Amino acid sequence: MTVLLQFDDVFKRYSAVTALAGVSFAVERGEIVAVLGPNGAGKTTALEIALGLRVPDAGRVRLLGESPRSTQARKRVGVTPQESGFPDALRAGEILRFAAAHYPNPQDPAAVAERFGLGDLLGRRAGELSGGQSRRLALALAFVGRPELVVLDEPTTGLDVESRRRLWDVVRDSARDRSVLFTTHYLEEAAALATRVVVLDRGRVLFDGTPSSLRERFGSRSVRYEAPGGPVLVTTDDADEFVRELVRSGAPFTGLEVGRASLEEAFLSMTGGSK
Amino acid sequence: MSALVLTREHARTLLLDLFRTPSYVVWTIVFPAMFFTLFDMPYARHDPAVADGATLAFVVWAIAGVCFYQFGVGIAQERGRPWERYLRTLPASAGVRFGARIAGAAAFACAAAALVALLARLTTPVDLSPLQWLTIAAYAAMGGIPFVLFGIALGYWCSPRAAVPVATALNLLLAYGGGLWMPPADLPQIVRHVSPFLPTRAFADLLWSVPYGTNPLPALAVLLAYALAFGALATRGYRRDEGKRYA
Repeated sequence: MTVLLQFDDVFKRYSAVTALAGVSFAVERGEIVAVLGPNGAGKTTALEIALGLRVPDAGRVRLLGESPRSTQARKRVGVTPQESGFPDALRAGEILRFAAAHYPNPQDPAAVAERFGLGDLLGRRAGELSGGQSRRLALALAFVGRPELVVLDEPTTGLDVESRRRLWDVVRDSARDRSVLFTTHYLEEAAALATRVVVLDRGRVLFDGTPSSLRERFGSRSVRYEAPGGPVLVTTDDADEFVRELVRSGAPFTGLEVGRASLEEAFLSMTGGSK
Repeated sequence: MSALVLTREHARTLLLDLFRTPSYVVWTIVFPAMFFTLFDMPYARHDPAVADGATLAFVVWAIAGVCFYQFGVGIAQERGRPWERYLRTLPASAGVRFGARIAGAAAFACAAAALVALLARLTTPVDLSPLQWLTIAAYAAMGGIPFVLFGIALGYWCSPRAAVPVATALNLLLAYGGGLWMPPADLPQIVRHVSPFLPTRAFADLLWSVPYGTNPLPALAVLLAYALAFGALATRGYRRDEGKRYA
């Protein structure tokens, strides 16, 4: 397998805050990697370093075998703009064609627009697009250049559940034969899209593996109950044994619930509830 | 993708965005011609020499204005925006982005200056041969360089909020002090002493050397000094912003 993006022990500090404290991970060809973490975990910093927008204080980053600041490497990478900040007066079609012009072998902008549900909107000015429409335009920009690696920063933030699901389908569909790296703080999104999840918390990698191994490692069952000190959530592989232990200890509790652990619960118990 | 093709794409996108912002177009292209009509045309209507001087002064003001607004205000307002950040992730060098900005400003400056020249041709006895106009165009391109750098420096040293008032104040004060609105000889005593050292005045002197047959070299020397100073300031401002935003 070819490594498209490689982080080796990367550090980044902003005056008082350590954003990345020795982060290592890689994206290989064909993978869809989710960088998952609460706000302030260092996700955006990691992405900006991967794209050459920021320089790490220490450690090594290779993007397609080159420095992330090299124009050559960036010809093989597609990126979404943040917060859909397009120039208001430009039309969606003009923005799409503009992005396509940067790549040696771009897709037909009209076909990409069609796939992202923008077919009727190409003549519309960016300032007149709805939130969901400009998110789709942002995503289309990342794919229009036929890049080997697509980098998406919180691709569905601020969208309702329905449009989020629709976008996942489009991304999954467009991601065939290329790799995707995306950040998210939605566990559901990581589980639905990613082949691998890298969990980042306070600048460190807490976990790096498949969504199912994330669930395995932190227990497949969840136990919730109300203790005098507040609600308790435990993820475990043996809920029966845990409950027996709890009863035997004589500790007071109410509202005991045992269920299948969701990724959300695995994450909560892993980051100590900092989400 | 060749850098030239990309620069053209960037310039086209920039111009499309600006042209669809009517207030910007009016302010930069129509304003100099409007001021010329209101204030100078009445004096310039009878004397070819006065007409030449006034026309070229407003050509200078048109170019300076584009530099202040398109570089100064444009850069200051865009440098923190998500779109600017997105442009940096595209496979295009800083040279392409600056080249496009300069090409876009040149287009606006040509339009604004041409409108002044056209008005002058139609309404005043301005008396310049085609060869003189060509020389003026070449001088205008040269004289514009320090103003481009001035604008870039302004854009990187001013906050987005401060950029418009600062650019406006500089634009108006330098136009007045440089003798662009009235002949330098009519300026108040104290302003007359400062005037020859202002970049606007040097730019005007350079263009005036064509119809009046004066020596253009002193004006060129002043402009060169300003180009070096503003170039250094622009570079420092750019690096400072790079370091703050992208370090």
